[in-house]
Amino acid sequence: MNTSVSITINGIAYERSIPIRMLLVDFIRYEAGLTGTHVGCTFEGACGACTVHLDGDAIKSCLVLAVQCDGRWITTVEGLAEGSELHPLQIAFNEHHALQCGYCTSGLLMTGVDLIEKDSELNEEKVRHGITGNLCRCAGYSNIVDAILSVARARTHEEEV
Amino acid sequence: MKELHAGGIGARLPRKEDIPILRGEGRYFADISIAGQLHVMFLRSPHAHARILSIDVSAAEELPGVVAVITGEMIRNEMLPLPQPSVGGGLPGRKPKFWPLAVEKVKFHGEPVAAVVAETPYLAEDALEAIFVEYEPLPYVGDMEAALDPSSPRVHEDWNDNEIFKSNFRATRSADEHAAHIEEAKRRIAEAPFVVRQRFRTHRCGITALEPRGALAVWDATEGITAWMTTQRPHLQRLSLAEVLKLPQAKVRVIAPRDQGGGFGMKGSVYREPLLVAYLARHLRRPVRWLETREENLMAAGQGRDQIHDIELAADANGRLVALRDKIQTDAGDGCLGGTWGYAMPMVGGMRLPNAYILPFCDIQLRVAVTNKASLCPARGFGIFAPRFALERALDMLARKIGVEPAELLRKNFITTFPARLSTGLGYSSGDFVKTFDRLVELVDIPEFRRRQKEALSLGRYIGLGISTGVEVSGVDNLSYLTATGGPSYATVDLRVDSEGHVTVAYGDGPTGQGSQTTIAQVVAEELGIDPQNVTVLSGDTLTTTYSPGTVSGRGASMVLPAVALACRDLKKKIVRVVANDASMVAGDEEFSFADGYITYCGNSNLRRSFAELAHRIVIGAVDLPPGDTGGLEQRAVFEATRGNVCFSAHAAFVEVSPETGRVKITRYVTSDDAGVVINPLIVEGQIQGGVIQGISNFFFEEYVYNDEGQQMTSTLESYKIAKASDVPRIEIYHDAGTPNPTNPLGTRGIGEGCIAPVPGALGNAISDALRPLGIEITDLPVRPGPLFHRMDVALRDDQQA
Repeated sequence: MNTSVSITINGIAYERSIPIRMLLVDFIRYEAGLTGTHVGCTFEGACGACTVHLDGDAIKSCLVLAVQCDGRWITTVEGLAEGSELHPLQIAFNEHHALQCGYCTSGLLMTGVDLIEKDSELNEEKVRHGITGNLCRCAGYSNIVDAILSVARARTHEEEV
Repeated sequence: MKELHAGGIGARLPRKEDIPILRGEGRYFADISIAGQLHVMFLRSPHAHARILSIDVSAAEELPGVVAVITGEMIRNEMLPLPQPSVGGGLPGRKPKFWPLAVEKVKFHGEPVAAVVAETPYLAEDALEAIFVEYEPLPYVGDMEAALDPSSPRVHEDWNDNEIFKSNFRATRSADEHAAHIEEAKRRIAEAPFVVRQRFRTHRCGITALEPRGALAVWDATEGITAWMTTQRPHLQRLSLAEVLKLPQAKVRVIAPRDQGGGFGMKGSVYREPLLVAYLARHLRRPVRWLETREENLMAAGQGRDQIHDIELAADANGRLVALRDKIQTDAGDGCLGGTWGYAMPMVGGMRLPNAYILPFCDIQLRVAVTNKASLCPARGFGIFAPRFALERALDMLARKIGVEPAELLRKNFITTFPARLSTGLGYSSGDFVKTFDRLVELVDIPEFRRRQKEALSLGRYIGLGISTGVEVSGVDNLSYLTATGGPSYATVDLRVDSEGHVTVAYGDGPTGQGSQTTIAQVVAEELGIDPQNVTVLSGDTLTTTYSPGTVSGRGASMVLPAVALACRDLKKKIVRVVANDASMVAGDEEFSFADGYITYCGNSNLRRSFAELAHRIVIGAVDLPPGDTGGLEQRAVFEATRGNVCFSAHAAFVEVSPETGRVKITRYVTSDDAGVVINPLIVEGQIQGGVIQGISNFFFEEYVYNDEGQQMTSTLESYKIAKASDVPRIEIYHDAGTPNPTNPLGTRGIGEGCIAPVPGALGNAISDALRPLGIEITDLPVRPGPLFHRMDVALRDDQQA
């Protein structure tokens, strides 16, 4: 059974007729063609590689049906940079060597941005707990934690100035 | 000190491969689609061991969108089974025959039984429900020791027992010489004042990568098969595909995508599913794609370790090791895995058991059993995780018996002369274990810790320190690799320069996140004096690269990078000839410097030409070249290791164990590593950081669990628990006490494979150290809070009663 939806991803409205059982992550990857959002578990919300922002909140797009997102707006990893200008967290991941294979990276960027935007007093413990929904298999987490904290601290510093 | 070239060797250059990935523009397997592609889903066996009586696919075939439903009977005469010569031709043990889909019987829970090909993955999955298979369950063979008993039911019915491989590691000794060798080991142990006898058990766990497997194949009557697949070894996949489909190699092209979401050995084998995908593409004349689910991955791929060690280790009155005996048993699962057959890992692990220590008399016996489980698979460390746990724990226990600090016992017994050869025949080219180890000891301050430990104990707190080491593989010679894998180990690179001076390096491995685009660019930058941003690395495509063994065995830094350096050095000779010829002078290579994008004559800095201008001169303006030279600027180089190269790691773990919960907290973890000449410290430290955390995850959390009927109970990431950020510490990493590797032109050692191996020993020793007042030794993995709490609780009650 199909139904029509309009989902806005990174500012572009995608109007599609889709099977009602289609997962949001499949909509993002195969209907919108945005393949930066990854799948690492069997759609059980365990790995976090599919994390995106739904109406501004980090969610796992494998745990949401596309039809539930009709009329709502989504940001994926492709929407973080503004043109050629990378988001500070993308730069920090590169500088801190926070990725190896990179498969978990989009999810961790989306979770990381969510943490930074919602908590102005992040510390290492908060970040480590904040990213428990995202598995990283290569990097061992510490460099990811450092990257997120560096952006959080720079932001706090900016606000103080 | 040598001046650091910008972005050259030794620079902490942020990785080149990161930017597209960070923008969401990575190109992973799942991101590749071909117009008109069909999708495959596998029906997998619900039984661990059963005869297939019938399969009815008629209802599934009728469902909408279903193009074909395939069973083992339909393909057994259409494609050849494994083994084939390319996969394990040189391996000394048995190789069970198997097709991509089960024929006659199923041998583990999760074995593919049938495949549905449909217009969408959703429809293919629907159709799986409509396939009806009648099974006759057979006895489950699930315990390796019981499987090796002659009375056990057989996993492979054409075999007379379940032993897939055994070895006594007698190296080049004759049978008689080896018998005398064993007698001497026994005699030395019988006469030794200090002996440890202990069984150690390492559970079934592995390094499942975050990106599952996949294959997408296209058939074309002219070009044959083109197959994209997740693999660390595209050339091996090509050879095996050609064999099973009876095609010339020229009609098979395998492409490992530019970005791959981790491998760790899990993507280093020849598996059933991609072989079938390629067959289906030819059979159906349509592109066919299989994207593995995590559930399939956890059921069928990536299970490693799983060994029992019965060790006897002895020292003389001076604390010198005199002999080692070990009866090793391994559970290989069904052994149906192209490349390693479930036993290459324990075989290599047995060879490497003596580790960093002088142990001239070793009696090591390995028996590998087949069982009704998924085949044992390479996992980071390649067979060495379990042996390192067993021996490093035994050393720790031996030190206690002698009454010395474990660090003192290790230090007294390190191999100090190189090249060295173990009693198992394995060679170590170079290193300075004492120097690297001493750096660790300096960092951890053992006497100070002992003071704190005593104080803590008086307050009812259990803190401990554990130290361990590992000498690990880092690029081996062709002969060793041929014997172990059936293929050579050499590294080949093709380097070409375009007319703007941009360098492209192509090689045939399948990297999975090691940062090789960056380290290769750094070596080129160092050698040719150009910006590493002006280097592009191509990998993974068998059409555009020559044979290469793959991204395995710590080969990147120790084999591939030296080949890159050799190619650059040969290329420079041609450039110098052209510069000298153009200037009507005679000059040797060493009279020119390559730096900052310029080639400069050392005798007169006015003779200076840019690299880009010279590239144009040679590639496009290809006239008036020196006699014998032709136009174009490209160079191939091959690097072969002459000996077994190694890296060395020494680890120290500090833990506190809670008597209230049995939880182990790692309070500090320090490594001192010999990674040789480090090309990029950022990447080397990243490999160690990640490798140690994987070891911690294996040690405490991960376990493939089979129930009494052989049902695999851990096929989701909810039940197969991988360490999360809040579970693990930050690793302190030091690589300042390394030694250049003299057997390659860069002095590099590959650290990525082996850095995990000392982890279980360090942690096991630390926890045992903390709990020594309670008489608790860690001998079995994984270590979980529940059982540990129970052991502590019993010991504490006994204490109170006494």
